[in-house]
Amino acid sequence: MAENDDNIVFKKETVSKLLSSFFKEDKTKLSSDAVVLMAEMLKVFVKEAAQRSIKQAESEDCDKVDIDHFEKILPQLLLDF
Amino acid sequence: MSLDEEAEQRLKAAIHFTVGGLCQSIGEECEKEFSRQVIAAIAETTFRQCEIFAKDLEAFARHAKRATVSSEDVKLVARRSTALSNFIQRKSEELASSNQDQKDKRKNAGKR
Repeated sequence: MAENDDNIVFKKETVSKLLSSFFKEDKTKLSSDAVVLMAEMLKVFVKEAAQRSIKQAESEDCDKVDIDHFEKILPQLLLDF
Repeated sequence: MSLDEEAEQRLKAAIHFTVGGLCQSIGEECEKEFSRQVIAAIAETTFRQCEIFAKDLEAFARHAKRATVSSEDVKLVARRSTALSNFIQRKSEELASSNQDQKDKRKNAGKR
């Protein structure tokens, strides 16, 4: 299975701003390595969500992945992360 | 640094864009199409999951008496799944070795 999504990434700046916005303390900062790793992790999260939704749609013989497919896989996805 | 509404919308849009790209790419591979609702839902879920990650990261750093979140904290966040944990560990090692390469390059450039 060719991986052609290598060039689709979360931008470092986006990840950094996003995570920082949820910190409770102003003094908490992110190292640049941490930002890169979190961007990878978010990419894995999205890919898992997408792939599990596809499997669910396939198991129901649907051509299109719909919201109910996603809803069914969501609880386990959140538990696994 | 909490966000004002406009900044939050911009970040959500950025997330949505990348999520859309990833879903399209994965959909093409599997010959399935994602409805727009699903892409929006995945994007929203990712956004909310970031809050959980961020709070965990901050707590881990604080526990280690650091003000800066490091890759060690990220590894902890990834602890629940072995596969994910190994993946992040590998990426962390790749980063560390590429950082070392850059340091060596700069050192050697200075020597000339």
